[in-house]
Amino acid sequence: MSAQDFLTLNHVSKVYRRNQSLLERLKKTDTGGTKAVSDVSLTVRHGETVGLVGESGCGKSTLARLVSGLMEPTSGEIAFRKDGAGRTPRLQMIFQDPYSSLNGRWTIEDIIAEPIRVHKLRRGRAAIRARVDELLTQVGLSPADAEKYPQEFSGGQRQRICIARALAGEPEFLILDEPTSALDVSVQDQILNLLRDLQKNLALTSLFITHNLSVVRIMADRIGVMYLGELVEEAPSEELFLRPRHPYTRLLIDAAPDMDTSDRSLHPIAGELPNPAFPPSGCRFHTRCPFAKDICRNTAPPQKTAGTGGMFRCHFDLELSNAQAIPPASKARTA
Amino acid sequence: MTTPLLDVRDLTVTINRDGHLITALDKVSFSVNPGEVLGIVGESGAGKSITGAAIIDLLVPPLKRTGGTITLAGERLDRLSPKAMRSVRGGRIGFIFQDPMTSLNPVISIGRQLCDTIEAHLKIGGEKTKRKALEWIERVGLPNPEVQFRRYPHQLSGGMRQRIVIALALCANPALVIADEPTTALDVSVQAHILQLMRDLHRESRASMMLITHDLGVIAKMADRVAVLYAGRVAEISTVGELFNAPKHPYTRGLIRATPMPSADGEVRLDQIPGAMPGLGAVPPGCAFNPRCFKAEGDCRAAIPPLTTEESAAFSCFHPLERETA
Amino acid sequence: MTPVVNTPSVPAARRSRLSKLLRAMRRAPGPTFCAFIIFALLIYAFVTPLVSLNPFEFSGMSVMDSFIPPMWMADGMPDFPLGTDDQGRNLLTAMAYGMRTSIIVGFLSVIIGLVLGGSLGLIAGFVGGKVDAFIMRVADVQLAYPALLLAMIIDGAARAALGAERSVTTAITIVVLSIGIAFWVQYARTIRSSVMIERDQDYVSAARITGRSNLSIIVLHILPNVMAPVLVIATINLGIAIITEATLSFLGIGIPVTSPSLGTLIRNGNNFLQSGEWWISVWPCLVLVAFVVSVNILGDHLRDVYNPRLRGRS
Ligand SMILES: Nc1ncnc2c1ncn2[C@@H]1O[C@H](COP(=O)(O)OP(=O)(O)OP(=O)(O)O)[C@@H](O)[C@H]1O
Ligand SMILES: Nc1ncnc2c1ncn2[C@@H]1O[C@H](COP(=O)(O)OP(=O)(O)OP(=O)(O)O)[C@@H](O)[C@H]1O
Ligand code: SF4
Ligand SMILES: [Mg+2]
Ligand SMILES: [Mg+2]
Repeated sequence: MSAQDFLTLNHVSKVYRRNQSLLERLKKTDTGGTKAVSDVSLTVRHGETVGLVGESGCGKSTLARLVSGLMEPTSGEIAFRKDGAGRTPRLQMIFQDPYSSLNGRWTIEDIIAEPIRVHKLRRGRAAIRARVDELLTQVGLSPADAEKYPQEFSGGQRQRICIARALAGEPEFLILDEPTSALDVSVQDQILNLLRDLQKNLALTSLFITHNLSVVRIMADRIGVMYLGELVEEAPSEELFLRPRHPYTRLLIDAAPDMDTSDRSLHPIAGELPNPAFPPSGCRFHTRCPFAKDICRNTAPPQKTAGTGGMFRCHFDLELSNAQAIPPASKARTA
Repeated sequence: MTTPLLDVRDLTVTINRDGHLITALDKVSFSVNPGEVLGIVGESGAGKSITGAAIIDLLVPPLKRTGGTITLAGERLDRLSPKAMRSVRGGRIGFIFQDPMTSLNPVISIGRQLCDTIEAHLKIGGEKTKRKALEWIERVGLPNPEVQFRRYPHQLSGGMRQRIVIALALCANPALVIADEPTTALDVSVQAHILQLMRDLHRESRASMMLITHDLGVIAKMADRVAVLYAGRVAEISTVGELFNAPKHPYTRGLIRATPMPSADGEVRLDQIPGAMPGLGAVPPGCAFNPRCFKAEGDCRAAIPPLTTEESAAFSCFHPLERETA
Repeated sequence: MTPVVNTPSVPAARRSRLSKLLRAMRRAPGPTFCAFIIFALLIYAFVTPLVSLNPFEFSGMSVMDSFIPPMWMADGMPDFPLGTDDQGRNLLTAMAYGMRTSIIVGFLSVIIGLVLGGSLGLIAGFVGGKVDAFIMRVADVQLAYPALLLAMIIDGAARAALGAERSVTTAITIVVLSIGIAFWVQYARTIRSSVMIERDQDYVSAARITGRSNLSIIVLHILPNVMAPVLVIATINLGIAIITEATLSFLGIGIPVTSPSLGTLIRNGNNFLQSGEWWISVWPCLVLVAFVVSVNILGDHLRDVYNPRLRGRS
């Protein structure tokens, strides 16, 4: 681990075991389970935002819960850089659903003050209240909102409260699991702007999870792409969009419709997402990959490093071998 | 100018909340030309689904249509008896919902459901129905039609279910298809499939389509003309090219700019619209958008701007945006 | 359209709570009426003993006045509006004492059931796994026996263990414990299922990431969110507990005659039904029915109001 590295994931896997029936337990048969995260290695450097994208069920939330310590990995290790005193950094997390992430029986003041009280960041009622007011103002709400209950706020306002609560813990590391997916565009926009300002001003290290490629491109310095529990590519943000090395990344970028009305072609990815509980053999993407050869069906591709400091997991290199096979990606999006 | 297939004038829907009547749709007017795809776009709660439901008379209390006319190919749908309406629904108007499970019966095989719809609306029977059903399963891109015919909805994935719903909506050769967020519940990679399928089938059948969505990307790829709804009113209607390149209503431009689409340097600041759309019954006087609008002046707060119509476009704003030379 | 008026002087939450209550009362006149009956009976039961002599102590009764019918009957006396019993006790006062015992026993046993079942349910739901399986299996087994039978068994066992010489307080304690234990399962099950929903909510995850201990998460976050439905069940169970106690006393294994409950009064009156002194048992019966039915109607209503699945229908 270098001095720059803030968080390292080392071959992390997580298997959700199916609930076994009594008979199965007696017979000691291993019924397996869903390997939601499979052999993921990733490094987050100090002050950097790493984005994670992927389709529903690819294990993004599971990875977030592993990093946050809410769950233990089945194998592999997750290590944070410890400070001089051997203390692990303070974490906070922002969740997708702004309705279930606030306790409806608490006032906004108590909700935001909770991390302050737990970590003893301020002492005394007045000091805590002053900090809560400051945070509310910082996220664009008013100090008068402190006495209200979560039910009195809209989804976007609730997400601001969640951000205020996360900031109240003065986190050194922030995990954001689809923080804007439940919100409307105009509100999503306000939240993204707020988060970007905070990133800039507080020099936060963070993990930003989303299924929206445009959002992750705006928010992240580096991006990891997940498919069926595996990290298939990881690269600096712009590099990933301009020169994707893994076929899935390329196809995913093209699949989301953009707002260009002159080119109305659609680019679906062939086939359907396999059931994550039974991932295909060899390369997990081979059932949908336009470049798949025999080797892909039988052998899992190794993790290759790209010159730009990224990595990808494919038997071939899109940059070198198959560049002509499909039209260049992300042309429209850079317009 | 062509005569429109569907013409909706001053459609008004109210919600009865504890005896108070709240306006959910306020004099919504638009039309759909034959063979055209009209996109309906707006934020959550703008009234998109209610508009679709009102046309096929699927509003349930406390929602109620309280005014306006709906004309389908010269026939006044708003005056039809419930019984006559039932044969229009699924017959001349097909519909596709966001959640495929709401249009599929979980305990009946999908083949049976297709056959029932075909029999009810095409007045054919026996082997011919089954052949037609199998043909549709194949047309919406499911492998092994004979196998799928006997399967039940829960045995299909979300994308496959939505394909069956599309088959159900189109198998009676409708003149108009209303699709309410047909791809919102699906993943990006599957979404593109379904959109492609809808486009192909639309080209073959030349049915008109009302495509309801909150995703401007989907609108840009699929719609010919677009109606933008805001707080239960029409903000702007225009062709898709005009809408994205020269929007007239400040809200339309705000919505487009708010959709994250980074430029090459990746350092675009998102232009945000302040505030949020007013909830039901909290619509401010005058233009519903005035508290969030950078062009708002006194007149915007005083009166509701009328829907100004020019050719196939329309907007409701006192201070429309000039065409930008950028 | 109504303009939005800001009145910062009145806390929004409190003002709306009062107006909500008033509106709820107007909408549901039946349950409101029941609430008034309960309130009146509570006052009757707890105020009467303060202003009258205890008819179950020697100074309070006079055998001379026994078997006097209610005042509107031929031999009635205005001093005894509802008549007297075989020992010459004024029924109006005697019933107040009886009610007081019944209500105290009811409340205490409900609280015991609530605390016992509530804690076991919390633990089962939060910890899960083997602990959960064990607690819930015990609950299943207990559910196979009717609550009354169970209360009788526990009562009988306790009496056998303690022997013959037992005071009134011991008897009441035994009854309270046996009814409380007989009813814990329902609370445990309800709380457990709510806890299992709440513990996976994101606000609990957020508290955990912040560094809260399990205990403070349970007490501060989960408990306030799972209490509403059990409190409703508790109101309903209050009626059932009072009836169970009355049944035990009627069968003669509950509370001794020296500190009677409504059940003891009914049992006593039952001896004289044949000989025409109906009032001795009918009045306590009526009061018992009025109280229990009111509590049940109110509880049912509260359950509908708090049932999340029915919420938002209005
Ligand atoms: N508690 C659980 N028990 C069993 N399986 C689970 C559990 N949580 C998630 N899974 C499975 O693990 C896989 C990964 O789930 P995860 O929630 O991490 O996906 P995700 O990428 O966050 O998806 P989404 O975009 O839908 O949030 C899925 O197949 C899911 O069904
Ligand atoms: N059955 C109903 N009862 C009461 N209010 C309703 C009902 N259905 C819809 N509404 C309200 O009417 C308004 C418009 O609803 P509608 O479903 O048309 O929105 P939408 O534009 O389709 O939004 P979304 O993108 O979330 O689907 C909303 O404020 C909604 O809360
Ligand atoms: S390894 Fe093969 S199947 Fe997998 S992405 Fe690369 S080319 Fe496609
Ligand atoms: Mg997730
Ligand atoms: Mg809708």
